[in-house]
Amino acid sequence: MQSDESSAADSKLEVADEVDETALASVMRTVPLGAAVLAGATVALLVLGYLLIYTLVFIPRGTVG
Amino acid sequence: MGESPVRNAERLCLAHFWVAFGAFLFACVLGAWQMWVRSPLGAKIGTPGDYFMSVTAHGVSMAYVLTTFFIMGFGYFVAVTALNRPLPGWIWAWGAFWMGILGVVLALISIGSGQASVLFTFYPPLTASVWFYIGLVLVVAASWVWCVLMLVAMHAWKVDNPGRPVPLAMFATVANAVMWLWTTVGVAVELLFQVIPASLGLVQTIDVGMSRTLFSWTLHAIVYFWLIPAYIAFYTLAPRAAGGRLYSDTMGRLTFILFLIYSLPVGMHHLLMDPEHGNGTKFIQVLLTAFVAAPTLLTIFTITASLEIAGRLRGGRGLFGWIAALPWERPMVLAIGLAFVMLGFGGFGGIINMAYGMNAMVHNTSWVTAHFHLIFGGSVVIMYFAIAYEIWPRLTGRDHLSLAPLRIQLWLWFIGMMVMTLPWHWLGLQGQWRRVANFNYADPIIAAWGPWVVVSLAGGIILLISALLFIRNLVALHRSDVRAIAKPLYALAVHPPRRVPAALNGFGLWNVLVLVLMILAYGFPIAQFVIEPSPAAIVHRVR
Amino acid sequence: MSDTPHEVHESRILRTELLWAFGVGIFVAASLSMIVFTALTLNVNPPSNVERIDPKTLHLSGEFAEQNLGTTVFGDGTVIVRAIATQFMFVPQCIAVPANRRVTLRFASPDVIHGLLITGTNVNTMVVPGFVAQVHTEFTRTGDLLMPCHEFCGQGHSEMWATVQVLPVDLFKPGPDGRVSCAKR
Repeated sequence: MQSDESSAADSKLEVADEVDETALASVMRTVPLGAAVLAGATVALLVLGYLLIYTLVFIPRGTVG
Repeated sequence: MGESPVRNAERLCLAHFWVAFGAFLFACVLGAWQMWVRSPLGAKIGTPGDYFMSVTAHGVSMAYVLTTFFIMGFGYFVAVTALNRPLPGWIWAWGAFWMGILGVVLALISIGSGQASVLFTFYPPLTASVWFYIGLVLVVAASWVWCVLMLVAMHAWKVDNPGRPVPLAMFATVANAVMWLWTTVGVAVELLFQVIPASLGLVQTIDVGMSRTLFSWTLHAIVYFWLIPAYIAFYTLAPRAAGGRLYSDTMGRLTFILFLIYSLPVGMHHLLMDPEHGNGTKFIQVLLTAFVAAPTLLTIFTITASLEIAGRLRGGRGLFGWIAALPWERPMVLAIGLAFVMLGFGGFGGIINMAYGMNAMVHNTSWVTAHFHLIFGGSVVIMYFAIAYEIWPRLTGRDHLSLAPLRIQLWLWFIGMMVMTLPWHWLGLQGQWRRVANFNYADPIIAAWGPWVVVSLAGGIILLISALLFIRNLVALHRSDVRAIAKPLYALAVHPPRRVPAALNGFGLWNVLVLVLMILAYGFPIAQFVIEPSPAAIVHRVR
Repeated sequence: MSDTPHEVHESRILRTELLWAFGVGIFVAASLSMIVFTALTLNVNPPSNVERIDPKTLHLSGEFAEQNLGTTVFGDGTVIVRAIATQFMFVPQCIAVPANRRVTLRFASPDVIHGLLITGTNVNTMVVPGFVAQVHTEFTRTGDLLMPCHEFCGQGHSEMWATVQVLPVDLFKPGPDGRVSCAKR
């Protein structure tokens, strides 16, 4: 690396990004609806899978203690 | 005068990363070999001695070398770039690096000479050569130096920036360091007071109830030590890489705090099938384990929302249109998508594992092997790749010639991991057990497993190809002619905080809570063996 | 004085996060309740008996002396299996158990950590030197099952397994001393 090249540590603390604040405000009217549905559906599937394995695989193998 | 400390930090980071990834490649080769010899295709190859030596080397390389060195290197990088100041004590950092190297060399030599085939979990009374343990102690000691440097760096920044919120990437890195200091106490006590004296012949017996309990103290939080850098990438790198904003900086801080407090007092969920502890203790630990699921579930929502912002800013419409609109051609974005899929499957395995009585269905079967390869080897390591691809240009001043080989490598890792681990879940439910050098495929129950073992092997080979491609991509970057353009790295939040409460800017309060929870969860289980040691088992030297 | 759009955003973000956290909390609480419920009603627990035993002398006398190993039916009808896990075999290597009857399995190790499971069942326990491992269960299907050692115990670990014969009631015949051995095949 050349000595006149900027170093990784030269980056500023909180540099503005390319996000336009007006566009962000408009987008934030819908967010997080998509996320809630996607994440919610995923978690629901996990819960369902958990219950299915519990009742269909684990319990039929016999009580144990 | 010599080079500036800043230049030194780049060499420091690269040194750590190359050690980490070198160990990683070595371990991938071993892993593929192991899978071949225990499959029907390689049934006549290799002795048990070879196999268990390989498993020990594979586990030590992946669980102790790849992880510790990567995390140290990434931590130094964050401390310098997020805080925008030189690393304090870089001479200590280099000293720690070389001490870690010495430790790795000692451990690998003792493994290679056949005197340490005790696996990376080294369950006493099986006892290896003392050099194996000394090697591991040196690696841990090196990481402790790193922890102190992280704390010093954050403290120095806070002194110079009173009242300002610590940048999230550094806050999370220090949370990880604090958690690591707490969790290594367990294995350190086990090694220093029980295992090393036994290995030196100073004692002939060992209290196994105590040693298993001490090891379990370390055993869960260590995986969160590995995981937190991936979450740092989720919260502080991925939103900007996708062209969006982090949905909530506050939730980010809360997530890392929850990991700090809830990943420590839960280690005994690895001992649910053990006879040295009763139901009450086991149930408390299951309860606390349920709490540690919370930060991951919160993360899923916050990061998905952050990506949704990016997708909608790029024109994605409707309930799910934002998903396709994301810039999937960027390696960091692709990696996080693949990581989340693997997190779903791996997390599913995890909630089954921790479900108290249901652990009996899966304990020490291939289900467990599937779970941790998927969640660690999958979700976490793919983010290590993505972090490397993202920050390497900043470390070398050169940029990738093309992003296509990076995407191909990430896809191969994902496909290989899914093909390798999904059959293991099924095999685990059939009763296939762990750490076997060769199966008796003549037995009818075991014969039925053969085809699935071969499918799994195919996944392992794909992973090896991906690992080779990963190294190739990094080497190509070192040789690249493309100049890296300096550009900002860390994501902004939708509302960058101007002030945060002290509780979300430091760890004083949380350390107290950790102490309370550890006493609650581990107090009696350990004290009982101090008051009345278990009937001692005879030390068994491994040759 | 009205909120700026900036502040409206921030409180909305926190509200959605709290809503999600609440939902997550319900999920966590529900899973835990199910675990507690089945533990109490169906007796679904991990092995819970904590009992110490000296690994160095267990083979000499007492419950785990060689002559006492295997399946024994006591006068009151209880069925108890005793076996030793050692490098690198189970003693006995074949265990006979009755179908559809409560069985108590007890294991001990005189040397290193072992573990075992019985395929197709929920029998799974670690065998830690210094402690007796105990599991109660009921075998629901007849046939031969595999009982491997599932924890690394040394170079011979891969060859360490036993067979469990689940016998129908007409074949499960205790001898005069209450002992039951595996049927010859």
